[in-house]
Amino acid sequence: MSLETTLPGATPTPPKASSIRALVARMVANPLGGVIGAMILIFGISCVLSPHFLTSFNMIIIARALAFIGLVTIGQAVLMILGELDLSVGAIGGLAGVVGGMLMVQVGLNPWLSLALCLLMGAGCGLLNGLLITQLRLHSLVLTIGMAGVYGGANLVATRGVAITGVPHEISFLGRGLVFGFPVPFLVLVVCLSIVAFVMMRTPVGRYIYAIGSNPQAARMLGIRVNAIRMGAFALAGFLSALAGILMVARLGTAQPSIGDTWVLSPIAAAVIGGVATTGGLGSPVGAVLGAVIIGMIEDIIVLFGISPYWQSIVSGGIVVLAISLDSLARHYLNRDAS
Amino acid sequence: MKKALLLGAVLAATPLVAQAADNSTPLRFVLIPKVVHPWFDKLNTGARAAADMITKTTGQKIEIEYRAPQTADVSSQNDIIERAIATHPDGLILDLLDEKGNRATMDEATEQKIPMTVFDSLPPEGMNITAVGADFCEQGTIAAERLATLIGKKGEVAIMMGVPTAPNHTLRAECEKKVFAKYPDIKVVATGIDNDSIETGQKQASAIMQAHPNLVGWVACDASGPVGIGQAIRESGKAGKVQEVGLDNLNDMLQLIRDGVAESTASSRPEMQGYWAVVSAWQSAMGQKTPKYIDTGIDVITKKSL
Repeated sequence: MSLETTLPGATPTPPKASSIRALVARMVANPLGGVIGAMILIFGISCVLSPHFLTSFNMIIIARALAFIGLVTIGQAVLMILGELDLSVGAIGGLAGVVGGMLMVQVGLNPWLSLALCLLMGAGCGLLNGLLITQLRLHSLVLTIGMAGVYGGANLVATRGVAITGVPHEISFLGRGLVFGFPVPFLVLVVCLSIVAFVMMRTPVGRYIYAIGSNPQAARMLGIRVNAIRMGAFALAGFLSALAGILMVARLGTAQPSIGDTWVLSPIAAAVIGGVATTGGLGSPVGAVLGAVIIGMIEDIIVLFGISPYWQSIVSGGIVVLAISLDSLARHYLNRDAS
Repeated sequence: MKKALLLGAVLAATPLVAQAADNSTPLRFVLIPKVVHPWFDKLNTGARAAADMITKTTGQKIEIEYRAPQTADVSSQNDIIERAIATHPDGLILDLLDEKGNRATMDEATEQKIPMTVFDSLPPEGMNITAVGADFCEQGTIAAERLATLIGKKGEVAIMMGVPTAPNHTLRAECEKKVFAKYPDIKVVATGIDNDSIETGQKQASAIMQAHPNLVGWVACDASGPVGIGQAIRESGKAGKVQEVGLDNLNDMLQLIRDGVAESTASSRPEMQGYWAVVSAWQSAMGQKTPKYIDTGIDVITKKSL
């Protein structure tokens, strides 16, 4: 990288190319620089191209849609940093939603107690995944594919495929309400993200998760309780998925058996866009949620721009590839200069 | 006097100018089906035909924006509806996945004073919205009765259930079961789930026919399932031995009828539903009152009528 010197008292006027390089360097030096840059770029282009994008109504739509996928993304990101993956998170969210609906409507339990039980159930499902993976030494990808079938099947058995209606109005503000102009699910996401980010960055548990993700054998030799932390992370992912499922029930006013069907691949994609390594040990939940913001904005502009539904996957996939490639190219460009 | 004449002429010309100005601004309707699917492509064709008809007869340009969710999921559909509301269209034309689950989003459209028309589904209770469509139960009943007649009102039959979470598929299955229950010599020995996928329908139908070699007939609950059933019948060499009465009018389904694999199909006329949904949306956008329900009927398509 070129070094620049400035005489005392002189106004620094670095060449334009250097400024761009310095800006890119600063962005790339920050682990979240790439995803933030891509987010700003997509946001700016959307503002210019669509008069409907930067309206309060549309921002609320984006924030609310982000909340559900964002909650699942946090759990999935922690698992990915740990070197694991859970493909049953969507099914757990759906099951928690319908069990919540059944407890409230068919059993007649207090709605708040029902919600608490569902969150426990979600954490329990996640813990069960973790228990099976650690005790039977199974690969998380394979095990959770099977468990997705089990939880999804339980959902169908319980509902016979029919939505549970008549969910009490007391909980509807959880899905539909606004506080200071922000959708309640979005605020729940912010709270959850803050807690998880704090744990990941400022506590020993967070450091252990990164250590296990980087090298589980070494972590074990250092005395870290690897299996306990892995089970805890799966329980967290189950808990957050259940929370997303319950918030969706509150949003829809019905417990739909199809809740969570689309929560499997998007959180993984969001985490990867946000800099979480699929091999473990790298990334952060904040980056993963920023990745989810990018996906959410792309989904929004696809509708606002009137892109044909048959082209939507190509466009959204293409933008994601472009965003990741720009980040990679910027790093390559700087590394080349440094060498 | 001249001023009075000039004022009179201006007043007389105002409606014409206003009409011309209105016509120069296209009316924009956003059409949101349940999911990306060939059945809805046919509906979209009908919608565009109605838009052309209105433009030709009145001069009013109509734009149809087709926004289909990638998956048949209420929350995904709600996201698309909300984003469409953000663009302030002149009307929303919706196929509701679940009227109760879609309710909150439709309330937002009402708050924004955007007229709505629903098709292939019914509006939420208490909402004064025109519904365009056919009777799902009638469609299933017609198919099941036709199969019962074909097999001489006796023998083992199977039902391909469609997507278990789709209310219209479930309703058709229930009505088909009711028909078969009327005939003591007809036994429903299996029910498959095709998830509105031809490939899944084919696999399920093949497996069911292996497990039940005495099976004599099939009915289905969605548009893709009967195509898969027909392919399974053809592959197993049981065309003519196992009867099939399909649903809807996908091109593959019509080809199966031409080939003699399926006897007929009960179609809910997607093109007509799209056509009348746009006509109704246009009338709503013009401030006109529209009917509560427009029944587009069921077509029974046979080799003879093709």
